[in-house]
Amino acid sequence: MAESHTGQRGAANGSRLRWRLERRAEVSWQASVLARAAAVFFALVLAGIVIRLSGMPVASLAGRALQQTLGTRYGIGQVAIVATPLVMTGLSVGLCMKMRLWNIGAEGQLLLGAWAATAIGIHAHGPAPVVLALMLLAGALAGAAWMAVPALASAWWNVSEVITTLLLNSVAVLLVNHYCIGPWRDQLVRGAAVSYRVPYELPELTGGGLHLGMLIPLLIAVLLAVSLRQTKWGYEISIIGRNRRTAEYAGMPLARHILLVMLLSGGIAGLAGAIELAAVTHRLSGWISSDYGYLGILVAGLANGSPLAMLPFGILFAVLLNAGIVLKTQGLPLNSVTAVTGVILLFAAIGEVATRYRITRKALAEDAGGSDTADPSGTSAQRVCGVLDET
Amino acid sequence: MSDLARWHVDIAGPLETWMTVGNAMTAPPTESLGDLTPAGSRIVQMRAIWKSFPGVLANRGIDLDLRAGEIHALLGENGAGKTTLMKILSGSYRADSGMILISGREASLRSPSEAFAAGVGMVHQQFRLVQKLTAAANIHLGWDETPHLLSSRKLSARTREICSRFGVYVDPDSKVWQLSVGEQQRVEILRVLARGARVLILDEPTAVLTPSETAGLFQVMRSLAAGGCALVFISHKLDEVLEVSDRITVLRRGVKVGEHLAGECDQRSLARLMVGQEVFSTPQHREPSGVQTVLQLTNAYALNDRGRPALEEVSLTIRAGEIVGVAGVAGNGQTELAEVLVGLRRLQSGNIRLEGEDITGRSPRGFARLGIGHIPEDRTNTGLVLSASVAQNAVLREYLDPPVSGRFRLRSGEVARVAAEIVHEGNVQTPSLQIPVGNLSGGNQQRLLARREMRLGSRVVIAVHPTRGLDVAATEAVRRSLLEHRNKGSAILLISEDLDEVLALSDRVVVMYENRIVGEFDTASAERQKVGLLMGGHVSEC
Repeated sequence: MAESHTGQRGAANGSRLRWRLERRAEVSWQASVLARAAAVFFALVLAGIVIRLSGMPVASLAGRALQQTLGTRYGIGQVAIVATPLVMTGLSVGLCMKMRLWNIGAEGQLLLGAWAATAIGIHAHGPAPVVLALMLLAGALAGAAWMAVPALASAWWNVSEVITTLLLNSVAVLLVNHYCIGPWRDQLVRGAAVSYRVPYELPELTGGGLHLGMLIPLLIAVLLAVSLRQTKWGYEISIIGRNRRTAEYAGMPLARHILLVMLLSGGIAGLAGAIELAAVTHRLSGWISSDYGYLGILVAGLANGSPLAMLPFGILFAVLLNAGIVLKTQGLPLNSVTAVTGVILLFAAIGEVATRYRITRKALAEDAGGSDTADPSGTSAQRVCGVLDET
Repeated sequence: MSDLARWHVDIAGPLETWMTVGNAMTAPPTESLGDLTPAGSRIVQMRAIWKSFPGVLANRGIDLDLRAGEIHALLGENGAGKTTLMKILSGSYRADSGMILISGREASLRSPSEAFAAGVGMVHQQFRLVQKLTAAANIHLGWDETPHLLSSRKLSARTREICSRFGVYVDPDSKVWQLSVGEQQRVEILRVLARGARVLILDEPTAVLTPSETAGLFQVMRSLAAGGCALVFISHKLDEVLEVSDRITVLRRGVKVGEHLAGECDQRSLARLMVGQEVFSTPQHREPSGVQTVLQLTNAYALNDRGRPALEEVSLTIRAGEIVGVAGVAGNGQTELAEVLVGLRRLQSGNIRLEGEDITGRSPRGFARLGIGHIPEDRTNTGLVLSASVAQNAVLREYLDPPVSGRFRLRSGEVARVAAEIVHEGNVQTPSLQIPVGNLSGGNQQRLLARREMRLGSRVVIAVHPTRGLDVAATEAVRRSLLEHRNKGSAILLISEDLDEVLALSDRVVVMYENRIVGEFDTASAERQKVGLLMGGHVSEC
């Protein structure tokens, strides 16, 4: 058999149309937004199917949930109240994610923030704005302090922060419970171990539950977004997060950045606890957090660490949680909401992989017209067809 | 009757039989193979193979025949499509279109295990071994013929038997991490051969080997070919290809541009096919312009990462407008020498002076600020962040200084401007400044890195293996830019395993052996043989 000429063969084969899965060189941000929206949509559809199969009226349940979470002023206020700590724990976890560090301890830091705010609120006396500012400051500091041990261990001895932050959560719960059962217990409240009521409250904005503390996550999200993108610090964080060896090679102070980022992260979670206490619960208890620290990991994961994306995802989770409470009155277990959040995350992960590919239906030879990294002129295909064996 | 059909009748039947019994046979299969597959018969026929990746057409209608008893070199620059083509043959990738006949029959190779079943095995550039297991365990891992219950003694015995069957020897009981790179490679080869591979693909096998290990590998390859295997040797090193192979196929940008018997080729003709133009330029030697000492290392002692001595009593000066080459077999202290000279490794004793000023003990950033650039050994893991954009990588050395940054701010306009300058000056081929550096070819990555470091290194550039793994064109570009930088008056230290490169570029050569500098020559008067002897530790004979 004679040696065939590559060009002719290729052309003959290339004219066939075929479905193909192709890896993309770059993933556009629009694609990732779309993928996440699709993940949420399909997760809800799946939940709907399951509810339907268990014999409940999906449409009326969904309508009721929507009406009660987003259809009333009160409902929106409740969503905002839940979204505030969720966005903040998301920001806390997301900031660490930028350095490839995992803060699993936002829960504990949030509890400590609430604890410190309570301590100030119970013991300090003075004009409300001053005491409230002190409470928030103390909350942030306490969250950062709670993170100090994991941060130091990670920066200097490379101890896994996943383990240390996670374990400190249990310690935080015990510490808060100790104060709620012991020294700060309000004996007038029957049947629940909660602290005295803190007499200082964050002022409401417009009524309907919207309070001043809700502006804080917005502010932090914008600040983080700007500084991660447009400062030297942000640049160093992104280099360290992507490749520590390169960061060392370029002489970036690794340990200092790890410390700072982890302490900041702890501080944000602590601040969330202080806001929750000063604006919503007013009393410290072991269940003040409602898993905000853990849900924050989901929020941060869905937002892919992007500070501004924490806002919609925090709100989405808040809507889901509140819808769960509404649906509970209709006989749906509260855990079903947790299941839905899990499914959203699963679908988002699938979507994330899917965005890296595209399906094409093209003739192969035409394919070559696209950008060719090694040959930006893009005319390679036409040339190839002319190139034959030089010998 | 066409060739194809004839082979189907003549070869396919008996070969299939061999392949099923071959694994169980204790006698060397090579003997029986001899009469079943006449030397030169085509075991593999690849026809019109097309394969595209996003933005790249890697293979464009390639035909390739592999014959029993033949070492077939696949030659081409980085990104020519060599590895892609062989990954298609070994089942890792699927071709977009085209046909593969093995022993005359159309083969479906949808996974590496299907390829193994068809007798095709590939030794990848990055080894796929479990470091903590023994050589014997690695060879038997994931192999369906491994007995379920097996004592480690039996495992070793089986491995020894496999070794002697193929004439490739490793110590079965050594843990892989204890083995040298060359020995690890042999474990990989045995792993593939033991599974009955008759087509053995070696992807740039010499890239990681020392010269003597390379010679050993070539011996193994020849004996396997003599036993009837078809070998594919992927490389871009012309001399090695000419030395070991029988037949050479040259690929350029995914197209097969030539197939020749090795006897018909020489380095020039192959290089011309590979890059499409004659590129062999000999750099001009030139008297150093100045005599001023720029960088001076005195009596340096340093430890390696394991805390053992890596530099002992090392003294070195580099003058302005001079390239000092460091020759030596890898692992004799060169890496640590470079790290010391850019501030990444602490000196136990001794000192470093830059134009007379003592700079010992400064931070890496301090060294960089003084105008000492560093082209590191491992560009993809140290010098560049592959997932970050071209622009982000380009400003890695300048982001702290105005005008790129203010007090806190990073000015994106200035970042883009600096990046565009580096890309332009370094002749980096990139569709945009925003794509991840990992999407660029190896050559373009290195051009970007080298340009960036020369911008920084106005006084000194420490270049470690600056052309390792690059294709001919990129190698030329990087070498030329080093020479140009020298001519501007910089002091350059060139550490390279490639003695030809060291001798071609340097004004002076020092030889390192066992943590010490054991010799120093002016390149003009250096005798290759003498340098070679010193590299091998024969100090007394010089």
